[in-house]
Amino acid sequence: MELWRQIFIHGMNMFNLIIISYFFIGNGVYTLLMVLSLATVWVYNRRLAYQGMDEIRESPVTPPVTIVIPAWNEEQIILETTDSVLQTDYPELEVVVVDDGSTDSTLERLVEHFHLVRMDLIYRHDLPTKPVRGFYLNPDVPNLMVVSKERGGKPDALNAGINICRTPYFCTLDADSILEPDALLRLMRPVIHSPVNTVASGGIVRVMNGCQVRDGRVAKVALPRSRLERFQVVEYLRSFLFGRTGWDLLGGTLIVSGAFAVFHRETVAEVGGFSHDTVTEDMDLIVQMHHWAVKNKRRLKMSFTSDPVCWTECPATLKMLGKQRRRWQLGLCQTLWKHSEMLFNRKYGLVGNFSFPFHLYVEALGAVVEFLGYFMVPLAIIFAMVPATLYLLFVLLSLAYGGLLSIGAVLLEELTYRRYPGYRDLASLLWFAFIENIGYRQLVLYYRFVGVMRFLAGSRRWEKVTHVGVAQ
Amino acid sequence: MPFLIEHVIEAVFALFTLLLLGNLLLVGVVIIRRKRRQKFFQRMDALREKYGPVIAGVLSGGMAYEQGLRELREVSGPGSLSMLERLCLEKRPASAEMPVLGRLCEDLGLVKIWQERLAGQTDKTSLREALVDPPGWVLRVRFLSFLIRSKSAENLGLIRHGPSWPLLVKALEDPSPDLQAVAARALAAIRHPGSFPALVERFHKAVLDPAPVLSVRTLKSALVSFPLQSACGLAVSLRHTNPRIRFLAADVIREMVEREAGGNPDFCLDQENGNAELAALFLTKLAFDVNPDVRAQAAHVIVCLPDPRSGPVLVGLLKDSVWFVRLHAVRSLSKPKFASHAGWVAKALTDSNWRVREAAVRALRAFGPAGLDELTGRFLETRDRYSQEQIAEEFQRAGLIPQLLARCAEKGRNREAAVLSRLVEMGKTSYIISLLDLGEGNAALHKEFLRKLGQKAVPQILHWLQPVALPASGSGARSQAPSTLAPKRPHGKG
Repeated sequence: MELWRQIFIHGMNMFNLIIISYFFIGNGVYTLLMVLSLATVWVYNRRLAYQGMDEIRESPVTPPVTIVIPAWNEEQIILETTDSVLQTDYPELEVVVVDDGSTDSTLERLVEHFHLVRMDLIYRHDLPTKPVRGFYLNPDVPNLMVVSKERGGKPDALNAGINICRTPYFCTLDADSILEPDALLRLMRPVIHSPVNTVASGGIVRVMNGCQVRDGRVAKVALPRSRLERFQVVEYLRSFLFGRTGWDLLGGTLIVSGAFAVFHRETVAEVGGFSHDTVTEDMDLIVQMHHWAVKNKRRLKMSFTSDPVCWTECPATLKMLGKQRRRWQLGLCQTLWKHSEMLFNRKYGLVGNFSFPFHLYVEALGAVVEFLGYFMVPLAIIFAMVPATLYLLFVLLSLAYGGLLSIGAVLLEELTYRRYPGYRDLASLLWFAFIENIGYRQLVLYYRFVGVMRFLAGSRRWEKVTHVGVAQ
Repeated sequence: MPFLIEHVIEAVFALFTLLLLGNLLLVGVVIIRRKRRQKFFQRMDALREKYGPVIAGVLSGGMAYEQGLRELREVSGPGSLSMLERLCLEKRPASAEMPVLGRLCEDLGLVKIWQERLAGQTDKTSLREALVDPPGWVLRVRFLSFLIRSKSAENLGLIRHGPSWPLLVKALEDPSPDLQAVAARALAAIRHPGSFPALVERFHKAVLDPAPVLSVRTLKSALVSFPLQSACGLAVSLRHTNPRIRFLAADVIREMVEREAGGNPDFCLDQENGNAELAALFLTKLAFDVNPDVRAQAAHVIVCLPDPRSGPVLVGLLKDSVWFVRLHAVRSLSKPKFASHAGWVAKALTDSNWRVREAAVRALRAFGPAGLDELTGRFLETRDRYSQEQIAEEFQRAGLIPQLLARCAEKGRNREAAVLSRLVEMGKTSYIISLLDLGEGNAALHKEFLRKLGQKAVPQILHWLQPVALPASGSGARSQAPSTLAPKRPHGKG
């Protein structure tokens, strides 16, 4: 009995150490990212004053771009998305909507709205995909093509879009998203101005719920009504404004949201396109490109810019939120596992030695550590291994730290873009940033924990989040 | 002193208190920032309301210049210079307004300040004033001064301030990549001939530097903005030993030529636009360059040379061993004025590379009716499957099927019927059928289509025929449909 007691005590002590290290490493890196992002975004915002958007718009050397929209059962929003994309301010633009075997009226609505006719065109594929059923075009709208294909999943639809794309760069856009008119110009700016070959450029994704959408445009920005959606507004701000900005500054970008990103077509084709191995094909592609660059001794850049805006619908119900977060976590684990040789591999520089381990320890495994912590630490108190006061203080410390990071994200927003003009909205953002760590964080943590468990169980399920058109 | 759990508790408590204060501090900063911005924008709006019409009036000539200047000089208070700068430059002026805007900025003293800032001189304001006005203090922080210097360069470019070009040329060598890029853009906007050689030199450096700080694309874009007459300044690049420099220089000239040709269908690169040295370089050297990229770009320039040698050289490029050289050669000819070259372009329809075939089809379409005639003839004559597929694709994409179908219904239009017949044989029926479905009331069209093409036993056509044959269809072709369907029934779907 004494032996078991000793094992239990040692086990608990070990776990407490893991919890403490997770807390300090995670929050330490997040704080570093926040400080870096505050400085970077402030400077970047000043740099916008002389970025020469007109020059990019008018220059003959601005490369043409194809926007690829994979769509599966998106009848609710596909017309708004396509309309918004066709109004995009960009000198040479093509749009390819890939209907990935929808069972609703996604294709029919597109055909009817844009007066498309079915054509029998040649399908040349560099990347293997499921068979294409037909091409739909309107000779009067020459820059729009709708492709209907057999269901093969999002990566397959994206690969079909890449096969059809003739431009040196393509932009992936989720079917539930709306682009700001100059978003693509802004997203292409780092590609055009960078002296290094920029193969991926990501922009910021903001929550569209609660906003007024008219004619494929976000006409009025407002916060959503439900608390669940408001929490996500703060979360997106934190994730994009200081998470991605910070990693970009450090040169450790591992994630570029495929919801809105530009990629260099040739490089993507070289690495085999979007893979079916994981459920987060965008992250997998970025990591795959890091691999390819090291293997082929190429100097590539993957950038994140905080001013090109894409508005997207965030899940409005707990069920949908659960589906989304489980998939993200599952995909993160799958991608990190698939590319595990990058871990502490000197060849990969900062990505292998800092970004990859951080994502593994804090973002992937952290979900398990933190989730179990909520149960194990009270157990330690019951067995008098940790004083209850310390536990309580530690919980409060964790909440205060979380609040600091979220309020920091709101500050970043206020220092730069100020998309939410009303004082009420600002107060609401601050309040939700502060209370995000009480309840919402634990809820998301549970979904992430389930995501890790599904990974351990070998799941490859792609959970579809359905959209209901939450914008007003 | 022994390490006790109480010490840990104290440390955690201290940290917690610190973080809580940090939270409050951030909230305070957010609110103060919001208030300050609001105040700034209120002031800006008030100034805009008062002085916006003055600036618009001065620029359009609706207000006397001196009077406008006097009124604008009244703008005072903290940050007044930044406000004036904003007011003057927030709207993009028309080309005709540019000289007045330049003069206005000079008379308001803005140009002098921009020039001083660009040169790295600190504003002659007190530290207190500088702290109120953001550019003032940013300029004093050495590692951030590039922000203000770059903005000043941008402003000089916006008003196309010619006399500032030497300062901007100097800025091309500044350690800040931002300032270099903005200076290049400003020089491109000013287009002073004296700055072209400096840009060319900077362009060479950027290409040859293994870790460049300035994007080659930015420099290329700047060089392209200059008038075509400046192109002779690139002769040194065209002769450079580095193949990438030769390629990029040829590409810059190609862009210049295409820009000129865009607004003038009869454009040619004669003595007035170019010079004999450049023409000779393209015809004798670059068209035969070891780097295929150079040959590819050269095609677009050679096509505009009114030189008897250009024809044979272009034919050589159309037969080049590298596919993208052939591609560019074909693309260079895709303008109506080159319709006489249709024969040469048509040969590319059977090229081994699909991109060349596609370019050839599009070039023939660009030739107008004569090109379309050539394309139709080739479509009917050729036995090359790939070529047929490519032409069929263009017929559909360009929206030619409705025309073909309409003409097919007219008497004596056997060629159109033959094209449709070939399309049906190839299984390219989707577009045709959707048009027939749309034109349900068009009995003559249905009847003629059935008469001429009904015997093609392709499943898609038979599938279309079935509803037509139904008594409820109401189509004029109903009587003809069952007889067409009957013998084919075993091959059809039912």
